[in-house]
Amino acid sequence: MLSRVADSLYWINRYVERAENISRFAEVSEAMALDCPPGSAEPWQPLIDASGDRALFDALYPGGGPDQVVEFLVRSEGNPSSIVNCIAMARENARQIRDVITTEMWEQINGLYLTLLESEGFWDQPPQEQLREIRRGCQLFYGITDATLSRDLSWHFGRLGRLIERADKTTRILDVKYFLLLPSPEEVGGVLDELQWISLLRSAGAYQMFRQSELGVISPKAVATFLLLDPVFPRSVRYCLDRIHDTLQVIAGRSVPGAPEELECLVGLTLARWSYTKIDALIADGLHEAIDALQRDLNNLHALIHTRYFVLPGSVNPEDNPGAPAAQASVSVSATSHDLACAPA
Amino acid sequence: MFTDYRPNKGYDEYFSAGEQPRSALKPLLSSLGALGLDQLNRNHAAAGMLLKRLGATFRLNDSGGRVGERILPFDPLPRLISSGEWQRLERGLTQRLEAIDLFLADIYGDQSILRDGVIPRDDVESSQGWRPQLQGFTPPLGKWCQISGLDLVRDGQGTWRVLEDNLRCPSGVAYFLENRRVMKRMFPSLFSGRTVQPIDSYPSQLLQTLRDLAPWTDSPRVALLTPGVFNSAYFEHSYLAQQMGIPLVEGRDLACEDGRVWMRTTRGLEAVDVIYRRIDDDFLDPFVFRKDSMLGVRGLMEVYAQGRVAIANAPGTGIADDKLIYAYVPEMVRYYLGEEPIIENVPTYLCARPDDQAYVLAHLNELVVKAVSEAGGYGMLIGPHASEVEILEFAEKIQANPRNYIAQPTLELSTVPSLSEGELYPCHVDLRPYVLRGKQAWVTPGGLTRVALKRGSLVVNSSQGGGCKDTWIVEETPC
Repeated sequence: MLSRVADSLYWINRYVERAENISRFAEVSEAMALDCPPGSAEPWQPLIDASGDRALFDALYPGGGPDQVVEFLVRSEGNPSSIVNCIAMARENARQIRDVITTEMWEQINGLYLTLLESEGFWDQPPQEQLREIRRGCQLFYGITDATLSRDLSWHFGRLGRLIERADKTTRILDVKYFLLLPSPEEVGGVLDELQWISLLRSAGAYQMFRQSELGVISPKAVATFLLLDPVFPRSVRYCLDRIHDTLQVIAGRSVPGAPEELECLVGLTLARWSYTKIDALIADGLHEAIDALQRDLNNLHALIHTRYFVLPGSVNPEDNPGAPAAQASVSVSATSHDLACAPA
Repeated sequence: MFTDYRPNKGYDEYFSAGEQPRSALKPLLSSLGALGLDQLNRNHAAAGMLLKRLGATFRLNDSGGRVGERILPFDPLPRLISSGEWQRLERGLTQRLEAIDLFLADIYGDQSILRDGVIPRDDVESSQGWRPQLQGFTPPLGKWCQISGLDLVRDGQGTWRVLEDNLRCPSGVAYFLENRRVMKRMFPSLFSGRTVQPIDSYPSQLLQTLRDLAPWTDSPRVALLTPGVFNSAYFEHSYLAQQMGIPLVEGRDLACEDGRVWMRTTRGLEAVDVIYRRIDDDFLDPFVFRKDSMLGVRGLMEVYAQGRVAIANAPGTGIADDKLIYAYVPEMVRYYLGEEPIIENVPTYLCARPDDQAYVLAHLNELVVKAVSEAGGYGMLIGPHASEVEILEFAEKIQANPRNYIAQPTLELSTVPSLSEGELYPCHVDLRPYVLRGKQAWVTPGGLTRVALKRGSLVVNSSQGGGCKDTWIVEETPC
């Protein structure tokens, strides 16, 4: 598979996953907001922190309220991670590799893009309907991908992008909401607003599966356990790391393990760290610190994947290709959502 | 439905001069009548949406932003050509390309046609498409043009003529294929009562043609080389790569090392045997052609010269796109094949010849003048539609650089009813059939019919408000 194509597949899936996550937690917050007293900033401001875009938001919308938060997350042109921009970037990457993805995948992502950009009635719907339709559009894209694309490298690179983005978003949602709802460790087990915790679970798409799990009663500890360490819930950190590990092994295609490369070391160690641990130990050592470290690991993982698979071998360096025109720049962005920037296009 | 339809004075392909429907058209006209104009208009709008969703778009500029993508306007009324007539055209196209191929082999080889004085040496060597670097070179199978798209027109009498030869990277074949798909989906009832020759085998034929070029291996690796996503024909490049299941590569995905061409993949370098290039000669290899090319591959021509990669079409074929060289093609047919051309040229005046130039300058208001190396409807003067000022400007241009201009009588191109502002209007059309030449020659059944949707316009190019139609090759007698 062409390195450039692998890069695009990875990013299409990251962008679609990002758009899906944003639409889900914005949808949940829309519903929550109706239960909040008028004028209160809750539950909007944490959404900005959860996506790691506080500085950008303050620059674009100084003193912005709930309406601006929604605008920023959903339609803002200035926010590279807004839903509309994510879908536009996913679609642009898809356009570049239309020969590799199936026609049905292309029709879905292109159709979603056209709906957001051009469909007259779309933005006249109630906000939760808009967000639901976007979320379903993203989910349909995965469904079509899984039902039509061969399980060759293209599928694996796509899945890799999806999983890394998902792990990142789940931890961000947990990180922000957890500490907002639970200002000090002493309050563990104290009075809690069950509605708020339900909304946290819903934001991560985890409410029903949490209820069905053996954890049962909603408590901060149970919620953290589920989102971080559950072995079978497809949005938990541990689950995502497990599949990232598998996917990278398939991509590396080594039947006999040799001396591990840097990338293998990192993914193996990270998986082990989140598989062989207990929630009590994580909380005792500082949950926030653990999540921070995980996010750093995910960023490093991305960087290693990038150098290992997307820019090799002997790619044109700037000396060979002085002043490459915009037409040559691929549509890719930096690793994390908070310092995400479009390539000049 | 056709009660208000009035054909122009030229040749209408639906109705004869007495405004009687041509016999082959009867089943279609009755299906159209059953559909009705309102439904036709509704389905037409839906077809536009479908094409957009399929992404059959081209970009108007290089903005790369959220704007500037457009579909090629699609007209739902098909154009019919009888299979008997088509067989003759097929033979004519095959004959013409055979002659052009021999011409290319000759001028880059022995140059007998120049020594025999059939074509002036200077007319060849002054062409922008002339690539002296390729002299003495023999491409795989000894053939130069694997994929061509010739532009045919019917004049006021309905006679078919060749208007242009496109031998570098003729585009439009994806629209040709997609139009049929859209027609079947949106207007199935129009197909009833007859068999239309299917066109779906084009991608397989194209792949076979390309694979034929690498006799050194049983499993040739073929790639399609595109300038990238900002190219206006990018949709077609990705579409064809997808249909053939071959990688779509950009210059930066390829590298030349150890006398071979390689693709950069996630598992290292993989060899490439055949390149279907959709970029111009000038940009193929900065070592040999334009030094500032960012789109090509360094060292490609050296590997090509050693016969370790095939390129289709062969570099150097562009000289036959020169509209001055076009004028000599009937001579080539006689010279190389000893036959008379089955499809004639449009009569052409060469401004490089003093007599022709004097005639052209005296009749500019009647003629169409074209710059020899321009395409896409640019660099053109349509005398009868031009202002005094434009005519004077062109007269100066011709005198300053006569080699650069040819002139042709303004043809009353044939018309086909088309939807224009919600009504049926006789719009002018041309036809671009595609010809593949690997070990075997193969002509698409029909081709891309381009239509000048602006009322009264003679320019069918998409850059100038043109659209396209589905083209049906049908048996003489309806089944």
